[in-house]
Amino acid sequence: MIKSYIRRIKLRILDIGTIKELCLGAEKYAHDSGEDTPGEEHFLLAAMALTDGTARKVFERISADPEEFSGAIKKQYSDALSSIGIDSSKIDIGSSDDEILAPKRVLYNSKPSAQSMMKKLVDMRRHDKEIPLLGAHVVDVIATSEQGVAARALRAMGISQETLRAAVKEEIKAYTFRA
Amino acid sequence: MPDMKSLPSPDEPAEALAAVVALRLMANKLEKKAVMEALEQGWTWAQIAEALGVTRQAAHKRHAGVIKKQTR
Repeated sequence: MIKSYIRRIKLRILDIGTIKELCLGAEKYAHDSGEDTPGEEHFLLAAMALTDGTARKVFERISADPEEFSGAIKKQYSDALSSIGIDSSKIDIGSSDDEILAPKRVLYNSKPSAQSMMKKLVDMRRHDKEIPLLGAHVVDVIATSEQGVAARALRAMGISQETLRAAVKEEIKAYTFRA
Repeated sequence: MPDMKSLPSPDEPAEALAAVVALRLMANKLEKKAVMEALEQGWTWAQIAEALGVTRQAAHKRHAGVIKKQTR
């Protein structure tokens, strides 16, 4: 009983650290691409950078290169602009711009897509009390989105939601946690 | 300016909305660069606000980071 309680406390502490890492990472990826606030796509990039390595492994399980995701974000922007007749080949829309500074802020802020993702992540964690929050969980939640930058970028990589979520399940099943 | 006839048709909302998101990002980047350039050229916040069609306070709040860059 006490062991189980201590284990749960340990998991929650680990989760808090992971959430902090995700939020700070996502914000950095957003600023690097010239955006003020992070969206789902930046949280996916941050998940891939987590030390548990499970988000990257999910992509590797389906023979997709996780490094290609940031390129896929740019591609979906350029495809979207092409659809209205704008040639984006001379515009580096999804890239960093050293001249532009990140806005000053007091409280953490993110795009609605990221806020919704975080809410889904918290709901999912309520039902999973055996392992800590992993990068694969973030991939799982983002894979449920049908619209938005992250969903379009995944489609640009030729990845379907079903395939990605199946790989997430396998990765989480294979994960072993020692409290 | 692209031909308006080339815009995605309303029966393809996913494509049209994706284009809107991309345009917003492009517009934000252009706005930041233009404000930075305007400040370097000696524009006042009142002039920038007038050009953007917003209040002086709104322009200042939105681009406060640019001031930091200016004073470095």
